[in-house]
Amino acid sequence: MRTYGFFVLKRFGQLLIVVFLGVSATFFITHLSPLDPVEQTMGRLTRQSGFSPEAQEAMRAALTELYGTDKPLLEQFYSFWSRLVRGDMGPSLLAFPTPALRLVKRALPWTVGLLTTTVLITWTVGNLLGGLAGYFQNSRLLKAFGVFAIGVQPIPYYIVAFIMLILFGFLWPVLPISGGAGMFVEPGWNIHYALSIVHHSILPASSIVVVGLGTWFLGMRALVSNVVTEDYVTYAEFGGVESRKIVGSYVIRNAMIPQLTALAMVLGGVFSGTIITEEVFSYPGVGTLLIDAVNAGDYTLVLAVTSISIATVATAIFVIDLLYPLLDPRVRVR
Amino acid sequence: MADVLTVAGLKAYYQTNYFGVQREVRAVDDISITVRADEVYGIAGESSSGKTTLIKTFAGAIHPPLRIVGGSMRYRFDGQEIDPYAVSAEELNRLRWRHVSYIMQGSMSVLNPVRRIHRSFADFAFSHMDLPKARFWQAVEEHLERLSLSPDVLRGYPHELSGGMRQRVTIALATVCRPGFIIADEPTTALDVVVQKDVLALLDDIRRTLKSSVVFVTHDMSVHANMADRIGIMYAGRIVEEGPTRALFTAPKHPYTAHLVASLPRIGDATRKPALGGRPPALSDPPGGCRFHPRCPLAIDKCRTEVPPLETVGADHRSACWRSAEVEPLTPPSGASGEEVA
Repeated sequence: MRTYGFFVLKRFGQLLIVVFLGVSATFFITHLSPLDPVEQTMGRLTRQSGFSPEAQEAMRAALTELYGTDKPLLEQFYSFWSRLVRGDMGPSLLAFPTPALRLVKRALPWTVGLLTTTVLITWTVGNLLGGLAGYFQNSRLLKAFGVFAIGVQPIPYYIVAFIMLILFGFLWPVLPISGGAGMFVEPGWNIHYALSIVHHSILPASSIVVVGLGTWFLGMRALVSNVVTEDYVTYAEFGGVESRKIVGSYVIRNAMIPQLTALAMVLGGVFSGTIITEEVFSYPGVGTLLIDAVNAGDYTLVLAVTSISIATVATAIFVIDLLYPLLDPRVRVR
Repeated sequence: MADVLTVAGLKAYYQTNYFGVQREVRAVDDISITVRADEVYGIAGESSSGKTTLIKTFAGAIHPPLRIVGGSMRYRFDGQEIDPYAVSAEELNRLRWRHVSYIMQGSMSVLNPVRRIHRSFADFAFSHMDLPKARFWQAVEEHLERLSLSPDVLRGYPHELSGGMRQRVTIALATVCRPGFIIADEPTTALDVVVQKDVLALLDDIRRTLKSSVVFVTHDMSVHANMADRIGIMYAGRIVEEGPTRALFTAPKHPYTAHLVASLPRIGDATRKPALGGRPPALSDPPGGCRFHPRCPLAIDKCRTEVPPLETVGADHRSACWRSAEVEPLTPPSGASGEEVA
């Protein structure tokens, strides 16, 4: 029997391979596209002011030199990776000469903060309520919630976002409708800034929570209504085991195992999932950054955003994989 | 001997109502039996004769659509009478495990797969034993040792045990509180014959030590021959014959019992077994009169219209047949057949 440590090591190796392949694929997709970053930048720079043809030529030569676009693709690939492992992704073209990585670093906490809170809230509350609804099938309150969940769950999250925007931004304007924090609040580790962040995140977060809650609730309710017919639940009921323990340690505990896999899969889709939400609420996160980068043809920035999301998602799934054998003793660590 | 369980005229039906179509399955129909202290009572019968439903009602483990429609049921422990369907949920919980415990059909899956076995013991038994923690675990380990199980099994998960081990652990779990009444539903069906013998010996051993009563259900007549002091034969939701094991095997007084006993193979007997034609009736629409009459070789007109009562036909022996006096054993009783089939 191999140890848990060996499993962690092996799984970590897989994580590195996945990240390498994913980032490389993004590299080739952007570099093989007909967009030429040099021409994009030239177009933007020469649009307003009249540069002399010589100056333009010199600028083009300098940019080509800077981006290395005249070199063969494989050589570019090699130099991309050798810079990447040193933490350098090259300058953003949109905000030249700010490094693309710094832009991503600035946006990342917003997205990760919004996502981890919403996903964790939705997952925990949805599974808890779904579990209770599956076990106490006669509860009127939980039945009513089930009807609500079935009604809301098929609505796309961006529609919900717009509805909330109209409701709480215009009809009853109580919540801020855009931005990550108040403009006149001093950023930093102080209570005013923190409150401002929470205040601004209520609308985008609840638009994600409302829809996600229904999905988790319905999934868990279905799982639980299967688990309650298992022999070990019937037997525990007969044995006079405390009903709180039956719901928690017998029913929900067993039904949760597939839900954890589902959580890993949902985490895989979150980066793309919040792009529209961030755009709707002008949230200063990675999604907004990515849309701006694509619109501007800023392919170092696109590459930086996708590389970071690939690494983050792969790590999240890695962590859940590590938790899995602890949750289900029947999963053998190999 | 004192009666531990007295059941009179018990009726438990599955009642469903889907889209206005009402169905009623009379799985337990007018059953009266008593189980005495320190005895093994076997309930026999073919599949879907209502055996499991009957002991579910004994166990107080009834959920809709199954409902008790009539009759009464009374346990007597330490001189106190308890009707499990009249007491509050808390009192019923106190009765459970402490006095009445249950070994469920399919013991392979009765333990929570994600919980270590010691936690199952704590969940089921701790609240029923009124012992401080250290004394409780000492009692559990002593009990396991009595069943020749190593206390190490407590640290494992159910999937790490073999089928036979798991069945022993389940029996240990069901008997750890030293209950006066043990209900066992097909305790050995999923096991091979060798393990089956061990498990039965274990169950018998435990019962003798605890001086408790056991009601067990199986369709396997050879297990009944080995285990039971008395047997009740069920057919289509009713008890058709009840009597001491030896009397039932040597001189059955109901044609159905006669066929059931004759179906047992004996060593050295190469003859073909007489098969009973037809199939058991649907319990949603049982035939009138004696429910066995469509398949009975002795059926007369009276059997088709009037329900035969369960009447005494010998010492401690009752049969529900209009022609019980004419029932002959189908194979000549050659000495004590009970031992032979063992």
